[in-house]
Amino acid sequence: MSTYKIAVVGDKDTVLAFKSLGVDIFPVLNEKEANFTITKLAKENYAVIFVTEQIAKEIPEKIAQYRNHMIPAITLIPSNRGTLGIGIGEVKKSVEKAIGVDILFGREGEE
Amino acid sequence: MTSGVVVKVSGPLVVATGLPQAKMFDVVKVGQQGLVGEVIEVHGEKLSIQVYEETSGLGPGDPVVSTGAPLSVELGPGMLEGIFDGTQRPLDVVEAIAGSYITRGIDIPALNREKKWDFVPTAKVGQKVTGGDIIGTVQETVIVEHRIMVPPGISGEIVEINQGSFTVTDTVAKIKTDDGSIVDVSMMQKWPVRMPRPYKEKLPPMEPMATGQRVIDTFFPVTKGGTACIPGPFGSGKTVVQHQLAKWADAEIVVYIGCGERGNEMTDVLLEFPELIDPKTGEPLMKRTVLIANTSNMPVAAREASIYTGITIAEYFRDMGYSVALMADSTSRWAEALREMSGRLEEMPGDEGYPAYLSRRLAEFYERAGRVIALGSGEREGTVTVVGAVSPPGGDLSEPVTQATLRVVKVFWALDSSLAYARHFPAINWLTSYSLYADTVEEYMNQNISSDWKDLRAEAMRLLQEESSLQEIVRLVGIDALSIKDRLILEVARSIREDFLHQNAFHEVDTYTSLNKQYRMLKLILTFYEEAQKAIDKGVVFSEIENMPVRERIARAKYSDEKDAKIFDEIEQELKQQIEKLMEGGKLND
Repeated sequence: MSTYKIAVVGDKDTVLAFKSLGVDIFPVLNEKEANFTITKLAKENYAVIFVTEQIAKEIPEKIAQYRNHMIPAITLIPSNRGTLGIGIGEVKKSVEKAIGVDILFGREGEE
Repeated sequence: MTSGVVVKVSGPLVVATGLPQAKMFDVVKVGQQGLVGEVIEVHGEKLSIQVYEETSGLGPGDPVVSTGAPLSVELGPGMLEGIFDGTQRPLDVVEAIAGSYITRGIDIPALNREKKWDFVPTAKVGQKVTGGDIIGTVQETVIVEHRIMVPPGISGEIVEINQGSFTVTDTVAKIKTDDGSIVDVSMMQKWPVRMPRPYKEKLPPMEPMATGQRVIDTFFPVTKGGTACIPGPFGSGKTVVQHQLAKWADAEIVVYIGCGERGNEMTDVLLEFPELIDPKTGEPLMKRTVLIANTSNMPVAAREASIYTGITIAEYFRDMGYSVALMADSTSRWAEALREMSGRLEEMPGDEGYPAYLSRRLAEFYERAGRVIALGSGEREGTVTVVGAVSPPGGDLSEPVTQATLRVVKVFWALDSSLAYARHFPAINWLTSYSLYADTVEEYMNQNISSDWKDLRAEAMRLLQEESSLQEIVRLVGIDALSIKDRLILEVARSIREDFLHQNAFHEVDTYTSLNKQYRMLKLILTFYEEAQKAIDKGVVFSEIENMPVRERIARAKYSDEKDAKIFDEIEQELKQQIEKLMEGGKLND
């Protein structure tokens, strides 16, 4: 069994920076391309796929499709144009689901 | 003829003494009115007689006369387009003489004695014939040629045969038998109803009987010469399925027995059939139909006879070399008639009060179906297909009539009240029904319709089964827990259910689907499944597949004209284009 790989999917400008870290980068232009790329990566032994928030918000159905899968883990990251807050929201949801309470961001008396 | 006397009357059961020469199953005339009855038990001096008519007003001392002959039907030209009661009295003639209700003791011959038929001999003087040989024909209706046969048991040389117009009782031929005596042969023969008509050889049923009903033809086919039953709770559409079969079944003769069900249902048949056009011949369906009506308001004992009357008529046409379909609606009412008589005879009851011989009687009836080589020279092949409705009280399939029926029939169409409630018609449950002819029919279909029929059917069946297990998961944890592939299965199974299995009996096009169209429809749905799988593998999201415009056309394909074969090619083309469109674009970085 070969080792798992890490991929970054997003617009060209954002993903380029990741190239220096040695991870595989997959620049995409539109949602269709993103859909196809993620599906292909999922089959190709990529365990973690980072997707920029800008792209992710266009393809909610594809992100949801892998939500219950162990592999690949799709993690949203901010792009070079700043964060949209969806990524952190997803993390918050995951934590809540895992331990039942929001220990990262929640403050007492809030919500 | 000596006369006996009535000693006891209990509903349709009359006990008489003083007829020492009467035998089991002899027909007797009871009372001053001469009510027709049949000896069903002989106990020393005492005869138990089931009377086929209402017995009120009868009392001890009334006369009983034996006819010395078993209950028989008259077989000859004049049965088609007719409606008879359980003992083969022509109801239209009865109505003309006695009004809407049958007068007790009315004695009318089953076949019209005055009507003349044009007899065309096909045998010649000097020809040797045996029982079952065809000696001439009568064009009974536009589509059915009635073949006049030598009655079974007679053989010899034809010494005279005449062409011309005759009534059914006129002698059309004279046969010199081997012992030198001359037998007159008329166009009519009599046959005791309880005795199966003889045949030369019984063959295994091979060919499917196309019914035009998709769920039946594709998933649970019945063969020509096969047996099938339709059990179902009331309101689930037994009668509609039976009517559909009577209308569209690919049989040359249809015998429809309305046994103990509502009179209005027979009225429907009488009103509808003359209007409906047979797709094969272009003539009204009534021209090939014989109706036996013994509705719920008619005497109970005659119900018992109606089943036998019907099957004897069916066998007679089978002997001519026709394929005959017999529908009995419903055998439960017939079994109830047996139960009533059994109870009055004070026999030891079996399950739920039905007589212990219930399953034997049912088996005897269904065993008279089959594909046979008829008696006589020339290998004529005829079939009788029997489809019996069963009405289990409360839809409980474990009751005795259903169980006894299931033991003998080979096709089981389980009507499901929850499907009927969900307005899915025909409400035949695809998970519990079965057909033991499926393998035979698959081979026939592979050869005659398309070589991948068997695979398509198996695939569709697998999807439907998978759907039911996935549905359970969905009920427990919700649709989101399913993978995209499973959701596709649900979607395709839904399409099979709604676009293929669901069939509107009252829609002019949808009411009948030819085997070829059924194949194309199923093929279309499964092509969609195949193409959609490819798209999903490529990464197309589910909502895009779900909302493809071509799916609307797939759903409407069932309403397309039978003759318009191109439409399926068009839809298939469109489907492939739309999938192609979903999959193109988005170049991949390899």
